[in-house]
Amino acid sequence: MIRTYRASAGIMLAPAVTLIGVFILLPMLLTIWLSFQDWSTQTPFSSASFIGFDNFREIFGPTSVGRDFKRALLNTAIYTALSVMLILPLSVAFGLMVYQRDVAGGTALRTVLFSTYMVPMIAVTLVWSKLYSPSEGPLNQMLGLAGIGPQPWLSSPRSALISIVVLNVWQQIGYFTVLAVAGLTQIPGSLYEAATLDGANRHEQFRFITLPLLRRTLLFSAVIAIINAVQVFEPVALITQGGPVGSTNVLTYHIRRVGIERAQGGLGSAMAVMLMLALIVVVCALFAYANRKDDQ
Amino acid sequence: MSAPGRSASSRSARKRLAGRRALLATLMLLVAVASAFPLLWMVLSSLKTPAETMQVPPVWIPRAPSLEAYEKVSGVINVGRSMWNSLAIATVTTAGILVTSMMAGYAFAKHHFPGRSLLFSVLIATMFLPPIVTLIPLYRLVGSIGLNASLAGIIVPNLANALGIFLMRQFIAGVPDDLIDAARMDGASELLILFRIVAPSVAPAIAALALFAFVYHWNSYLWPLTVLQGNAEDYPIVISLSRLLSYNRGALNTGLVMAGATLAVLPPLVLFVFLQRFFVDSIVGSAVKG
Repeated sequence: MIRTYRASAGIMLAPAVTLIGVFILLPMLLTIWLSFQDWSTQTPFSSASFIGFDNFREIFGPTSVGRDFKRALLNTAIYTALSVMLILPLSVAFGLMVYQRDVAGGTALRTVLFSTYMVPMIAVTLVWSKLYSPSEGPLNQMLGLAGIGPQPWLSSPRSALISIVVLNVWQQIGYFTVLAVAGLTQIPGSLYEAATLDGANRHEQFRFITLPLLRRTLLFSAVIAIINAVQVFEPVALITQGGPVGSTNVLTYHIRRVGIERAQGGLGSAMAVMLMLALIVVVCALFAYANRKDDQ
Repeated sequence: MSAPGRSASSRSARKRLAGRRALLATLMLLVAVASAFPLLWMVLSSLKTPAETMQVPPVWIPRAPSLEAYEKVSGVINVGRSMWNSLAIATVTTAGILVTSMMAGYAFAKHHFPGRSLLFSVLIATMFLPPIVTLIPLYRLVGSIGLNASLAGIIVPNLANALGIFLMRQFIAGVPDDLIDAARMDGASELLILFRIVAPSVAPAIAALALFAFVYHWNSYLWPLTVLQGNAEDYPIVISLSRLLSYNRGALNTGLVMAGATLAVLPPLVLFVFLQRFFVDSIVGSAVKG
């Protein structure tokens, strides 16, 4: 009896494990292996030749390869930090608006916010490329009505990256709002009643009950926001092509350009490995920080 | 948030409460407008005449809505073919994900075997791997099995994913063991039990996963773009759309671009409007229960 269940567990697992093994885990291992090889993406894996840490030396070196990669790494770090810094507070603020019962319309607000999450990134990109348009774009038109001069948005190296952050946050905030609402529903109402009896005002209740009890939710949101942020591709590929002057050259775009378009598979893989390492370090640091807070 | 203070009976306290409600309602309205504006503007612009899209000060609402832009879109890209490709990609991928996720989720939830939690952890870890990390070797790998530049090349690598397995395990774990044991006593095979007994009792979760997978793969861009290598025949709508932007830079093509964007947005948005409850439930399920 037990033996047949084990056999059937194997059958049940086989499709998923095979597919994920071949198309995710194997490529991941290949990426690590290729990062130590001199290899062109145009050629079979067998043509790769071992070169030790040369790829890593080159992507951190003083040549243009190194300069471009370091810039992309920095841009991605800034992009990710800005995204998380906008998404977390906004998701809590919007979550409170959806969750509260003082004013009607919370659920409607959730529907509106979440609907943008269904929109393909490419459509978001097309729409915002027109919204941001310097002359006839509605954003500058509205600023004009408010007496503010036209902004360069995507066309200036100083504002291009943050402009892309804004369109991404606009698209994703509904998802994180739903996560925040899920966290809020987990907080027992009795805590607020007790706090009210003790004379805590709303501000104090938010600071000493809501925020601490949302920490697990916020940690989860932060991890997802980081993973999403490093994937930004469409607006860069379609509108800015990494410019102006490299200011929006982010890693997903840069790695694809190097590894696929220029077929420098070894170099691209070394960059991908660095991205993976950076993510592991950041996520572990976040968890360590949250655990330390939990212990306090 | 807390219940409004019931002890606040004095007139000034009530006034303060009314003021706070008005402020909150205003804020909520502002947020909703800011969130909805880009999509509203997209639809309105798609109905404008080219002259209207260029007018300064801007025309917000088209005087005589016209479908001119939509006609022009079908002159630049093959809308029917692209929509069909997107539908094929999203539907077949979703069907595959449902089957593989249900099977694996069932095994992880209701079978005991050595290494179960280790295998589960390894699979779940892939959920946090950004696709770019595996893109280069995957591109070569898919090419070497002869699937490059084809719809199959887009679909096959995505037929199983960690999120699906995770969701299915969470929900199938809640199905009573007695139900499954009884069926086993009757001699039902495990596959039969899964699809006849377990599946119906987790139907809402399956619906949620189906919608998620469909929308995700309808919208997906990076992998199809990479694997298709410019084979325009097989472009899904999201890739065809990118050609609209370069078709005619500047204000003249605004209506054209917005019409194309509206077409691509419609299927996922319509699904969402009718089935948003499932979406929200599954996100909450993946976060809270995790």
